[in-house]
Amino acid sequence: MPHTIHIKAFGMVAETIGSDSLEMENPGSSEALKQQLFKQFPGLKSMKFSLALDKKMIQSDTDISQGKEIALLPPFSGG
Amino acid sequence: MEKERKPKNIFVQGAISPEKIAHSIAAHQSKTDIGGHSIFLGQIRADEKPEGKVIAIDYTAYEEMALEKAFEIREAIFEKYPLTCMHIYHSLGEVKVGEICLFVFTSSKHRKAAMQACDELVERIKAELPIWGKEILDTDNHVWKVNV
Repeated sequence: MPHTIHIKAFGMVAETIGSDSLEMENPGSSEALKQQLFKQFPGLKSMKFSLALDKKMIQSDTDISQGKEIALLPPFSGG
Repeated sequence: MEKERKPKNIFVQGAISPEKIAHSIAAHQSKTDIGGHSIFLGQIRADEKPEGKVIAIDYTAYEEMALEKAFEIREAIFEKYPLTCMHIYHSLGEVKVGEICLFVFTSSKHRKAAMQACDELVERIKAELPIWGKEILDTDNHVWKVNV
């Protein structure tokens, strides 16, 4: 059953997509989500960023289940 | 009895004032088992970029994740070094050149634990906390800060 996912965006990723949050139909996995984002925002293709699910960085393709908090994180530059 | 530690807010709106730092040092005078403190202060540098000169950094963060991660790092450092105290403060929003944006403060019985823990904390904060610095330039442009 399709459902909507809520995505938070930060730093230069937020700048590129023009918003710090967006909603889309759940593409099912983190890799599918990336492909969907690249289609919607071609500027992201050349950008380095990671995904976090429920505030944990994901290292490989991961299923996105309902209610997960998804975030797009460019390289950190605190300090 | 071991004191239970809970996630603390590390974020400060704007620059970290020298008064806050002095006050934090003074607050440790009652802890007489401390023999050494180590302090790291990060300051905004007026870098010259091809696009212009840095006049400020505007910090944003994924705050909930940063606080969870900071807590995890804090626990790991407490586990690794015999520390009495540890404090971490990071700015959010705009901090001008010359102002302080990061304050890391460790205390222990003897200096080495405080110094090593402070060093490791700073490295981990910069590498692992989801915080981003937007460098504001004197040309009305900006560039995204890159940590080296």
